[in-house]
Amino acid sequence: MTARAEFLDRIRREVAKTPGLFGASTAPRPAQPAAAAETVRRELAERWPQALDRFQLEFELVAGVFHRVRDLEAVPGVIARIARERGAEKLVTWDPAALGFDAGPALARDGLTVVAARAGQEDEASRRRHRADAADAQIGVTGADLVLAETGTLILLSGSGRPRSTSLLPDVHVAVFGRERLVETLEQVGVMLEALHVDPERSMSGAMINFITGPSRTADIELTLTRGVHGPKEVHAIFVETP
Amino acid sequence: MSDTALRTPFPERAGAALKDAFLQEALTIATTKFIDLRKESFAGFPQGEALRDRARAIKEATLQHLDAHLERLADNVERLGGTVHWAASADEAREIVLRLCRDRGVRMAVKSKSMATEEIDLNEALEHAGVTPVETDLGEYIIQLAHEKPSHIIAPAIHKTKGQVAELFSRELRGEFPPDPEVLTAVARKALREKFLQADMGITGANFAVADTGTVVLVTNEGNGRMVTSLPRIHVALMGIEKVIPSMSDLVVFLAILARSATGQKLSSYTTLVRGPRRAGELEGPEEFHLVLLDNGRSRQIASTLREALYCLRCGACLNVCPVYRQIGGHAYGHTYPGPIGILLTAMLKGNESVRELAHASSLCGACKDVCPVRIDIPRMLIELREHLDREKIAPWTERVVFRALRRLLMSPGAFRLSATTGRWLQAPFVRDGRLRGLPFLFAKWTRTRDLPPVASRTFRERWKELR
Repeated sequence: MTARAEFLDRIRREVAKTPGLFGASTAPRPAQPAAAAETVRRELAERWPQALDRFQLEFELVAGVFHRVRDLEAVPGVIARIARERGAEKLVTWDPAALGFDAGPALARDGLTVVAARAGQEDEASRRRHRADAADAQIGVTGADLVLAETGTLILLSGSGRPRSTSLLPDVHVAVFGRERLVETLEQVGVMLEALHVDPERSMSGAMINFITGPSRTADIELTLTRGVHGPKEVHAIFVETP
Repeated sequence: MSDTALRTPFPERAGAALKDAFLQEALTIATTKFIDLRKESFAGFPQGEALRDRARAIKEATLQHLDAHLERLADNVERLGGTVHWAASADEAREIVLRLCRDRGVRMAVKSKSMATEEIDLNEALEHAGVTPVETDLGEYIIQLAHEKPSHIIAPAIHKTKGQVAELFSRELRGEFPPDPEVLTAVARKALREKFLQADMGITGANFAVADTGTVVLVTNEGNGRMVTSLPRIHVALMGIEKVIPSMSDLVVFLAILARSATGQKLSSYTTLVRGPRRAGELEGPEEFHLVLLDNGRSRQIASTLREALYCLRCGACLNVCPVYRQIGGHAYGHTYPGPIGILLTAMLKGNESVRELAHASSLCGACKDVCPVRIDIPRMLIELREHLDREKIAPWTERVVFRALRRLLMSPGAFRLSATTGRWLQAPFVRDGRLRGLPFLFAKWTRTRDLPPVASRTFRERWKELR
């Protein structure tokens, strides 16, 4: 096998041979990512209603189902209705601490089985149990760390109490979010990601970030659009008005 | 592509494709649809053109310090607990993956669509070593079951009908399945779900790798990229060295134009950012993360003719608009990467000799350059490639003789005038319906598939004398 030094030397020699095709620079980066992220948040604190409208429009264009509720109390009702309409019996959710609410008791009263991930449980038995639960649940409930308006995208960070498969294995994914999660453009997402990576605590929380834009889809057979290939067939976003 | 297939000369492979009525129809429908979707998507996105310029500049700027960016990427991947492997050749890359499989007792590997693994023929090597590779992108799964090769970079099975897929699934997965894409997709979902849950290893490519944060980025629509990076205990990502980009700020520029160029979507359904193995506290994710950096002829081009081809994002837009690809499809090219950019990538990876014929499989119309999200000047490089083929005496001698003679002729006004006069009476037997057809000798190959305008009864030079 080629050693790192040898491999890089070869590239260095080639790079040194040429001045390049033209003078070029990479994308401008915020000098102070944390401050730039704060500016974005401040702007959105004013502009969130426009961002939300745009999100709804784009999210529906990619076949997402948008719901709007007054407060967290109303969320379990929406989830229960989604479950009822689809004949679902079992749900998996993020840790209530990561979600910001516990839908478990209310949904259990509706006769649904709710399995919530618990932060801190990471032994082998918990892993196996979690995987089996996520594989047979029909609905997965998560939060969203960023909600991108211009493309109708939900952005989720994995981490403790925030398993990756909650938004992947069940047929239906439901994400719950508030106004503070909204951003308008991909460029702003770039700023938020730059800020995330200089924040030692958050950057080390989980190893995966997923941008989710509508349900899983394919057009691999005769270009016929088909939903729910490997991931969810449906994606719902529930916007909660009062923080 | 097997060697036997490549032993058939390109004109015959292309000829066979032209006679395949179903392929012709499928190609027309697919490429036309992709062209329309792309056009529509950019029409509603005024900042798209500026973003394409920016993306091009980022690729160029990154290449100018490629060594430094790769070092930074490797350092950051290791900081996050991943392992970096350096593969100078396809052989080395295969050996690295096989050794990982051997040392860790891997029996089955699930794969998310990756052109880089196609490039190194990884599946054959895995099978040979007793590891079952399972392609999980629906299109790739279909062609793997059919023992074929992808015919399009982003739609690998566009050459198959739903009827053929139904037959294939019924035979291979034991059942009776109707030719309904919805049903067939559900069948694949069920079959592959089990594989995701059982596999020991997930193998992916990388659309991008962010040096600054040690992040490998995968763009998929089906969700298989998420499955293979979340469920198996080992994740191996294989990427060409040109996929590295400096920062997250650069990444969002590419994300804004990649899906639009490929499928006309604003973003693909899933963009997955992988930052090493799972962290403390995570219930899921691989225990081990390996990044294989593949050179395989790429670094040789940094200071050479094909430099710009290193910008390529593998979106497939240039295939859809290419008048040659639209006629013959991906298989006739005979190599991993088809289409206009494929000719350049094949020359890069396998040497100029391998594109002796393919270098001419382009009309140089420039449509590819127009749609390329990073504006790669494919026609310029194809011309330079042809020049190299001539200089390195790879081109057939007849072709070299004819073009040398033509060069002499065009450089001397006297000879040019003389050729017009002699041409006028020499051409007489070959002019039909006002075109030159069926020329003899060395020119026969040219006129077999094309015709030429004859020398005019009065040439421009003759008329010019009077007009003055």
